[in-house]
This record gives sequence, structure tokens and C-alpha cells, in this order.
Amino acid sequence: MASCRVRSSSIGKLTIIILNCSAIKAASKELERIDNVFYTYANGTSGLIDPEGIERLCSDMEVDHTDVRVLMLAWKMKAEKQGYFTLEEWRVGLKALRADSLSKLKKALPELEKEVRRPSNFVDFYSYAFRYCLTEEKQKSIDIESICQLLHIVLGSQYQAQVDSFVEYLKTQNDYKVINMDQWMGFYRFCDEISYPDLNNYDPELAWPLILDNFVEWVREKQS
Amino acid sequence: MSAQKKRNFQIEAFKHRVVVDPKYAEKTWMILEHAIKEIYNHNASGLSFEELYRNAYNMVLHKFGEKLYSGLVTTMTYHLKEISKSIEAAQGELFLEELNRKWAEHNKALQMIRDILMYMDRTFIPSTHKTPVHELGLNLWRDVVIHSSKTQSRLLDTLLELVLRERSGDVINRGLMRNIIKMLMDLGSSVYQEDFEKHFLEVSADFYRCESQEFIESCDCGNYLKKAERRLNEEMERVSHYLDAKSEAKITSVVEKEMIESHMNRLVHMESSGLVNMLVDDKYEDLGRMYNLFRRVQNGLVIVRDVMTAYIRDTGKHLVTDPERLRDPVDFVQRLLDMKDKYDKIISLAFNNDKTFQNALNSSFEFFINLNARSPEFISLFVDDKLRKGLRGVSEEDVEVVLDKVMMLFRYLQEKDVFEKYYKQHLAKRLLSGKTVSDDAERSLILKLKTECGYQFTSKLEGMFTDMKTSQDTMHGFYTTVGPQLGDSPTLTVQVLTTGSWPTQPSITCNLPAEIMGVCEKFKSYYLGTHTGRRLSWQTNMGTADLKTTFGKGQKHELNVSTYQMCVLMLFNNADRLTYKEIEQATEIPATDLKRCLQSLACVKGKNVLRKEPMSKDIVEDDAFFFNDKFTSKFFKVKIGTVVAQRESEPENLETRQRVEEDRKPQIEAAIVRIMKSRRVLDHNNIVAEVTKQLQARFLPNPVVIKKRIESLIEREFLERDKTDRKLYRYLA
Repeated sequence: MASCRVRSSSIGKLTIIILNCSAIKAASKELERIDNVFYTYANGTSGLIDPEGIERLCSDMEVDHTDVRVLMLAWKMKAEKQGYFTLEEWRVGLKALRADSLSKLKKALPELEKEVRRPSNFVDFYSYAFRYCLTEEKQKSIDIESICQLLHIVLGSQYQAQVDSFVEYLKTQNDYKVINMDQWMGFYRFCDEISYPDLNNYDPELAWPLILDNFVEWVREKQS
Repeated sequence: MSAQKKRNFQIEAFKHRVVVDPKYAEKTWMILEHAIKEIYNHNASGLSFEELYRNAYNMVLHKFGEKLYSGLVTTMTYHLKEISKSIEAAQGELFLEELNRKWAEHNKALQMIRDILMYMDRTFIPSTHKTPVHELGLNLWRDVVIHSSKTQSRLLDTLLELVLRERSGDVINRGLMRNIIKMLMDLGSSVYQEDFEKHFLEVSADFYRCESQEFIESCDCGNYLKKAERRLNEEMERVSHYLDAKSEAKITSVVEKEMIESHMNRLVHMESSGLVNMLVDDKYEDLGRMYNLFRRVQNGLVIVRDVMTAYIRDTGKHLVTDPERLRDPVDFVQRLLDMKDKYDKIISLAFNNDKTFQNALNSSFEFFINLNARSPEFISLFVDDKLRKGLRGVSEEDVEVVLDKVMMLFRYLQEKDVFEKYYKQHLAKRLLSGKTVSDDAERSLILKLKTECGYQFTSKLEGMFTDMKTSQDTMHGFYTTVGPQLGDSPTLTVQVLTTGSWPTQPSITCNLPAEIMGVCEKFKSYYLGTHTGRRLSWQTNMGTADLKTTFGKGQKHELNVSTYQMCVLMLFNNADRLTYKEIEQATEIPATDLKRCLQSLACVKGKNVLRKEPMSKDIVEDDAFFFNDKFTSKFFKVKIGTVVAQRESEPENLETRQRVEEDRKPQIEAAIVRIMKSRRVLDHNNIVAEVTKQLQARFLPNPVVIKKRIESLIEREFLERDKTDRKLYRYLA
């Protein structure tokens, strides 16, 4: 039995990989390369890629750090904390993308985008985007300002008109200071199902979140 | 006599043919024909019934039934033709009489003829399916006499003319009419209907159409209805006197249609005399008449009820939204009660206690009482007024009557929880100031509320009564135990209130005078000595004090004041002049309350135990206050306290409303959770409906608020949305 190399990251996580002989060698080489890229951006003390590191990574990949593809990458990694990548998360992500170098990672981005935008994945990505922004432990909602930014990032390309309108509404109204997950998901459903800008098939009898009832009313008032 | 030879008797047929005289039939017939003629000529007395009968019998027996029958037809027809002519010849008035007479005669003749021809009637006629004699006689009468071209229309016209005359007020020969009509009826119901009734109804319809038009132009509603009622009664009487009973329903429906149904709307809405005017002026008789007449026609009562409902709703709406009325809550409620009494009386006296009208009244009240959001508050203030003074000296039964009326209004309220809040506040004031007229009345009302709304509604109220009683016992214990140590201290009476039961008051600062503090502390330690683990905080905004005061010329008075007023007045034991600021600093009473307090002590005529410089009504920082040596009052005891329940100011009202809304949120959530726990999965509309149903005994929840609560519950993970069907919610265990 070939020896299994056990790697431990500096936070103390143990990962034991058991493969058959030849695959181990190739796999371990790939892993090594992946890890290497990680350590290029990781913070020496914490052993994580921190916001500064992410910024460098983005600059090297030639994407803006507010670009949606960064978020998509985080999703692929199932990253838990906004602004940070752990070694494990990094490994998960890059392995799934089959990228063991920066250039491969960069090349993988368009494919990643296509994958995320597939309807079957997008809802998951969309809800992930919300959770990713929850920074405090018991936090359940996100402030309006951040939501607006997030909406632009996540839905801006696909549903520009609705997003612009909703963002304007959020900024002018006074009833809500934060948005919760239910309302966040509701808005995607809204974009997906409701014809815009006529809103003809919006049925207030169905259980849309109240904020969307108010939004629709606001839009209709503006239109008249 | 020997019977040896048994001989059978046999009757043999004639061996020879019996030759019947061929003229026999003819001869026999002649006899009978003659007899008939005699009968018609009133000469029947000379006839032998037996002989004639035998003749007829023989004819039939000898197979001459046909001849007999056809002969009968011919003869009778001939005679009837003669009769018909004589009737036609009758002049004017005599026409009917002649007809009547001849008809009677014919019937008598017919009977005799029938008797004579009885055998034929029983044998020949049935077997040949011919018309029996009596019926034949009637038919011939009908065809020959009644339907003769001259008589038919003349008869009808005569009858109708008589009816018209009678309707115009003349007296007619009713007996004659009855006989003629009976004749038509006897001739067959189709004859009665075709020859008379049909036309009678048509002509009557025209008549009443005209008359009703005339009346409606010239009469007011009440008089019109009187006339209509009279006509209706007349027609019924007419039928009973000389028409077929079956015609009653038909003629009454003609009158109802022409006189009532065609003019229903116009009558009800008639200016100055229509339904609304009758209601306003309590015209019980006219209303009763309208009810009785209109209930006969389809939708008649619907119109009456709708107009009444619209009027009540309108009046009620004006009553509850009139700013003048809203200034005096007690008067406001009294007017509501008066209005209810008025309409209850109308429905009972004039509308036969009709349940649909009762319901319309109730739903109208429910509608407009809830148009004014302050109705719950005002009803509580009305009760407060009654329980403070209004019911003083009133008998127990009458007290119950008033309280039952209050409960009736309470039932109409949609926002019963708002009423509860105010009732609690007002009750607290009544109890603490000892101002309730009758403990029994208080308890009686609480019992009624409990019966209506359940134990939950009143448990806290009952707690308040318990506290009062317990406090009495506590005070007794206090004075027994600590009394001797108190010496000259002011006499203290404490009511210990359990926090949950009494309306919450924010605790306000107030520095009590030293003498008071002393005895208060002694009480506190006494109480906490016997009740460990409790906390007492003095509610200075709810107390009262009696001050023995001596004024400039030595006049003594006992002043009944609030705790704040006491604090302020006690300061003047040590100073003659104090500025507002000094008073504020010394007492630490918040500005609004202090200003109100000082106003009540210095600015109210007859109660100005303090003097203010300058004399203005407003209190400002630099105002100076003096003890008013010159104060006089004819009463020894002067009441200056201000702890009476009053209608709230606008800002107070807003605050109460906000608190009510806040209280409703957990109730709505509790209802949602209860429902979802049992149903597990439910769609949005049904949740809203169920929640509304569960809470309707207390208030009407706003669907938007319900939705908000659902979303809050989703956020707190009590519920979730169904993944596939977006209308559904699921309960999360």
C-alpha cells in the first residue's frame, strides 16, 4: 500500500485521503499545486486567504473584486465566511473546477458562470449569496444598502429592469430597514415568474411577501 | 195434493211473437212530451208521477230509449228557446231577475223530469254513454239560454256593471248576484271562469289601475295605504258574499298588484309622507299598515326593509361622525341607546317583530357604531358615568336594564379589546377613588362581560376587586400592629395593586413631603415584612389626600386633593411665596403634570387655594405662587382632585391605539401558531380566514397585519413556505 500523505493546515484540520496507488500520485501532485496557489494568497499568520488576499487574487485573475464571478467562486467553494477562504474550501472549489494553477482558474471562470446560471443551480446560488453576507452569528437580515448592492451583483445582468426598480423602491420606502431570507428569495421568484413591467400576472391573493405587495403597489402608482 | 208426479214448472217463452204496437212508442212519447210541456208551464200538479215514470220505463224496456232520449233533447231545447226569448225580452233591471227566476224554475222542472226518467238515467244512459238527464239539462241551459248571442254579453255586462256600481259606493242586490253567480258555477267551473271570472278580473285590474293612479297623484302615503287596505277588504267581502271562494285569491292578487306592487317604490319614497317620514314621526299605525300590505306582494318587504336600513345607517353614520356629538361621550351613547329603543319599538309595534327587520337593525348598528374608532372608549365612559353617579338610587331591576342595554351596544363593537383597555382604566379610577355607586352593579356588569366573552376577558378585572379587598385587610393589620407607633403621623390608606391586573402606568417621579414619607416607609417595611420577595413602588399619580387647611381669617376647610396637589400645597407650610421653578425642583414632578396641577390649584374659580402672579391661565417658568389667604367656599369640604375619567385628548388616544395594536400582534401570532399546529399545512387565504374567525370575539384583524405576523413567524422559523406550492405554509415543529 503506497503511503498516504497526511496534510494538516495550520488551523488543525486533518484531511485523510485514501486512493488507489497511481491515482494518489497524480492526485497528490494536483493537490500540491492547488495548495501552492492557496499559499500564494493566504495570510501567513491566519493561514486563510483574507480580504486583502482575495483582492490580490482578483487582480491577478483580472476580475473586479465586486464581480459576480468571485461570488460564484465562493459558492463553488461553499465558502462560509465572507471575505475569507479556508484551505479546505479552496481545495474543494479548485478541485471541482479542475484548476490547479492561476491561469487554469481564470480560464475556468466562464464555464463556472454558465454552470451557475443554469436554472437548477441558480436558486441555490442566489440563496447562498444571501447567507454569505450574514456576518454575525444570529444575524437573519441584511441592511438595505448591502441588499441593493447584492441585487445588482447577482441579478443585475439578468433582470436589470426589475432590479433597478426594486432598488429604487427600497431606497425610498420607510417600512423596512432590513431584508430577510424569505423576502430575498421572494424577489427572485418575482423576477422569474412575474411579467414586467406590466405586472399583469401578479396575484396578491397568493402568499407573496408583504414587501413585494407594497413594491407592486408602488410600481403601479408610479405608472399611472 | 199428491206429489207423486213431480212436475217441474217451466215457463216457456211465448210461442208467438208479441207484437208491440208500432205506434206504442210514439204514443208513449207523446204522453211524456206533453208532461214535459206541462211541467214547463207550471202545470205539473195535474200529472201523475207514477204513470209517467211507468211510461218512461216501458219505453226504455222496449228498446225505445233512443227515441226517448232524443225526444227529451228536442223538447227541452224547444222550451228553453222559449224561455231564452223571454229573458232576452226583459228590460233593464228585470233582466237579471227574469233570468234568476227562470233558472230556478228550470231547475225545479229538471228535477221532476229527471225523476220521471230515472230508469233511463240509470240504465240506458250509462250503457250508451250519453249525458245524464240532469247534466243534459244544465248543458242545454248553458247553450241555449246563457250562450244565446243576445244574452251572453248582456249577462256579463250587467254583472260587471253591478260590481262597478258597488265599488263606486252604491248598494246592489247581493242576493240576486249570488244566485246568478251560483248559476254560473253550477253550470261548470269553466263557465264561471270563461263567462264571468276572467272578465271580472280584467275589468277589476283596469279599474284599480285607474283608481290607484288617481290616488297616488292626490293622496299622501298614509292615506293611500288606508284606501288600498279598504279596497282589499271590500273585495274579500265581495267574494264572501256573492262570488266563488276560489276567486278570492285571484282578485286580491289583482288589487295587490295594481294598488301596491305597481306603486311600491313611489309610496315608500314619497316626499314628506313616505316610509322615512313615518319612521321619524313614529307613525306606528301607518307603518303597521304598510307592513301588512307590502308583505302581500313579492319583494314588498324587501323594499321597506332596504329603505329602513339605508336610513338607519345614514342617521347612525351622521350621529357617530358629528363633531358636536363627539364632545360629550355620555350623551353620544345615550343617543345611540335612544335610537335603538325607537326602532325596537317600531319593529315590535308595527312590523310584527319580524326577524328579518331585527337583523337589518342589528347589522346597521354594527355598521355605523364601528365607523367611529372611539366608540369603545365612549361606551366605557358611559358606563363609568352610570356607575359613578347615574345609577344612584336606581332600583336593582332598573340597573340591570341599563347594564343589559350597555351589553347590547358592546356586542356591536368590532374592537372589543379596545373597550377592555378603557374599561380597565376607568374601573381602576373608580375603585381607587372609591367613587362607585354600587359594588353589586360593578360585579353584575363584569359577570355579563364574562358570560359574553369568556373568563379571559374579565379575570384581570376581578383581580382588581380582589386587590381592593385585600388592601382593606392589609390596612387593618397595619394599624393594629404599627398603629400605636405612629402617633401624630398623617393617616395613611394604602391600596396594594397587583401589577398584572391593573392598567400599566409609567412610574413618575414625585418627592413626597417628609411627614408622608415617614409613614409610607413604615407601611412598606410592615408589608414587606409579611410578604417577602415582593417589590412595592408608590404610584403617586393615582393617589388622593385630605388636607385640613386654615386660611387667613381662620376659616377652616378640608381640601380633597390629588397626591401631586398635596405635595405642592405642603410646600407652602414653609414658604409664603414660591416660583414655578422652585416648586418644580422641590417636588420633581414632570412639567406637564405639574402645570396641570398648578392650574387646578390657582386658576379655577372657587377652587383657587393658591394665587398666581401674573393671573394668566398659562404657567410659565417665572410665575410666582402664593398661598391664597382670602380663599372662601361655602362648603367645608372642597374637592380639588382631578382623578375623574375623561375622554382622552388626541395624543393620548393615539398612544392608547398604538398600545392596542402592539397587544394585538402576539394574539394574532398565537392564533396563527395554534391553527398551523393543528392543520400542519394551510394556504394563505385560509389562514387569514381562520385567524379572523378565532379573534373576532375581540377584534377584527387587518389581513395585512396577519401577513406581517406570518412573515415574522417564518423568520423565526415557526413556519416555512412550501417548496413547490407557493400558496402554502407549513408548520415547523
